[in-house]
Amino acid sequence: MEIGLNHYLVVGLLVFLAGVFTVLTRRNAIGVLMGVELVLNSANINYIAFSRFGTGGLEGQIFSIFVIMLAAAEAAIGLAIVLGIYRKFQTIDVEEVDSLRG
Amino acid sequence: MGAAMAAPTHLGNLSSLGWLLPEILLGLAVVAIFLLDLVVEEKERLGDVALGVMAIAIVLITRLLWAGDRSLFENSVVVDGFGLYFKLLVGLAAFGAIWMSLGSREVRRTNQGEYWGILLASALGMMFMGSATNLLMAYLSLEFVSLTSYVLAGYKQGSRRAGEASLKYLIYGGVASGAMIYGMSWIYGLAGSLDFHAIHDALAGSPSGASLALFVALLLTLAGLGYKVAAFPFHAWAPDVYEGAPIPISGFLAVGSKAAGFALLIRFFFTALAHDGGAGAYQLVGGVSWDQLMLALSVLTMTFGNLAALNQQSNLKRLLAYSSIAHAGYVLMGLVVLTTDGLRAMLFYLAVYYVMNLGAFLVVMLVANSTGREDLDGFRGLAWRGGAWPAAAMAVFLFSLTGLPPLAGFVGKFYLFAAVVERKMYFLALAGVVNSVLSLFYYAKVVRTMFLEQPTGGEGAVTVDVHNGILLGVLVAATLVLGVAWSPLMDFADRSARFFLG
Amino acid sequence: MIYAALFYAIALFTVAGAFGVAFSENVVYSAFSLMATLLGAAGLYVFLGADFLAAVQLLVYVGGILVLTLFAIMLTHQISDVEVSNRAVGRWPALGLVGFVGIAMATALVRAPWKVSGEVVAKAAGEGTTYGIGDAFLGPFLLPFELASIVLLTALVGAIVLSRKEIRD
Repeated sequence: MEIGLNHYLVVGLLVFLAGVFTVLTRRNAIGVLMGVELVLNSANINYIAFSRFGTGGLEGQIFSIFVIMLAAAEAAIGLAIVLGIYRKFQTIDVEEVDSLRG
Repeated sequence: MGAAMAAPTHLGNLSSLGWLLPEILLGLAVVAIFLLDLVVEEKERLGDVALGVMAIAIVLITRLLWAGDRSLFENSVVVDGFGLYFKLLVGLAAFGAIWMSLGSREVRRTNQGEYWGILLASALGMMFMGSATNLLMAYLSLEFVSLTSYVLAGYKQGSRRAGEASLKYLIYGGVASGAMIYGMSWIYGLAGSLDFHAIHDALAGSPSGASLALFVALLLTLAGLGYKVAAFPFHAWAPDVYEGAPIPISGFLAVGSKAAGFALLIRFFFTALAHDGGAGAYQLVGGVSWDQLMLALSVLTMTFGNLAALNQQSNLKRLLAYSSIAHAGYVLMGLVVLTTDGLRAMLFYLAVYYVMNLGAFLVVMLVANSTGREDLDGFRGLAWRGGAWPAAAMAVFLFSLTGLPPLAGFVGKFYLFAAVVERKMYFLALAGVVNSVLSLFYYAKVVRTMFLEQPTGGEGAVTVDVHNGILLGVLVAATLVLGVAWSPLMDFADRSARFFLG
Repeated sequence: MIYAALFYAIALFTVAGAFGVAFSENVVYSAFSLMATLLGAAGLYVFLGADFLAAVQLLVYVGGILVLTLFAIMLTHQISDVEVSNRAVGRWPALGLVGFVGIAMATALVRAPWKVSGEVVAKAAGEGTTYGIGDAFLGPFLLPFELASIVLLTALVGAIVLSRKEIRD
């Protein structure tokens, strides 16, 4: 059987489902974010497969470049937030600060 | 390119620049503020710059109102009545948020110049959300707004709550937008194009086998959009984020981000999934009956928001967060009916909602400025300890949010309900009315705390400075005036309830 | 024949990595399984004639995002868990839900009338897609391309703001 569009879409679907499962079951923030990366990659596989077999031309590939770019930006901000929380854990008693401020 | 035509409506890259002046100005201002931040010591001056830029951008948007409709940048975005209405609304929301930030003790304490740049960038993204006409621009602008919102939500210095709110926002946002782009990839596969129009045309002529795949794809896409407007299954971030963010940002997210989300949702539904079937009624394409699903979503959203607000007794920002979820449900009613009447009712309501909700957040900020408190106890006897004026204003805003006449909120809800009843959707109208009555309980509780309870003495006095007083006066006046003389705004919304279809 | 076998090998590698992320108990193992998926996806892109995308995938995803993720894991393992989502679903209910959704989506996927064209956009062998993508960025996709630069700038500044503020104290 020749490798066609559906083969790639099924791979994309399986990766997507694994990502959804990860998001649902993880309690750790970074674990959830890894599930999100799986979902983003599954979408990218779809876009590029449609770009290859469909009528949209390079549009699909260009969309997936933007997905990768935004995933990188999101990862950077996510890490910055985690880092910020981590710092607060170490340097200040957060409960006290919280109840004093407005 | 139609170079031979007298007045081309589809512009290429260079000729589009003149139509995008407000956005270009904002983009340059963002970069300029980041650079000025390196040399300017007093960061509030940058806030003044941001305020001025936003004012100029609003004027530039207003000028485009009479210029006619265009499709820009090879069909990436459009300038049309609908888009301009939301650009104005978002611009005003950003203007209000910047004004509030300049008078906010929380923000002043952080003393960071980047804040103003990121705030402007967020407004820029929201403007693109209102004018995007293909899936790529929709996704890019939505994610732009999300990224800036995560940063703004986590801005409070030294607050663990802010950090956690920001992280929660990021995680929910990542999941929602991931689901959305997966859904979009199927839409792309079914339609063979990213453009809203091409999607519509492809779906209109598609074989019946498409409906199941289309249903799955749109359900996933709805996750991303529903997250932005904080609709029912995707709302869980809102209370934590509103509580953790600086108050001007909570207000900005509640009015600006929500309006931008609705702009994208409405344009997608009305131009990609439906078309004007004549006599002001839109018809869906693709063989999926979305109206039933949206009806359930609308009723669940408003009911959930109101019930949660009833249970939420302590923090005012959380209360307003739940109330903003409920209001997303009311606005969704206009989407369910899929008529021009419903469309303009949504436009009108979002503008009214901007006025009254930003006002409510402003009063919360005034109390927090003076006393450092955001809980209901901090409002006890507000009217009797120097805060008579903000307490009265808060009462006006809350009764308007409930939908009591003769305030602006009543007119907004009236038009929404009228659009629903016209389509004989009595169940939906009934749900809306019951929910409005329900909401009276928790809004009235706040009013009672402010007026009927006596201060115990430990709350501290509340004063209003001139800067915040001006904005408060304007918002109160708007709430009152729009309650009796609504027709100019309604005419404007009516005029704006059209899409550029090329 | 070899082509098909190679495809199945890469597809298996990709999916196995994804399931590794999903089922692994240890978050570090998950991160390395994620790397398998990312590499496998890059391989699939090559199969699909998207050579530029495959390179971007390797550079940005494997080289950037995955390293960031590992960095975050290493940094935060002392505080055990940054638990934000306290609504995590149990494994079996989640498996049931995902299975149900998966069957529904697979049915939709197989039946769907995807818009398929006879011709192929760009040959894998030959000039590649880089030229076409570069052309598109400066043509029909100029606006998103320029907007992306502001998005990245803002994200960069935002990330710095969020992570630096405690240093001053």
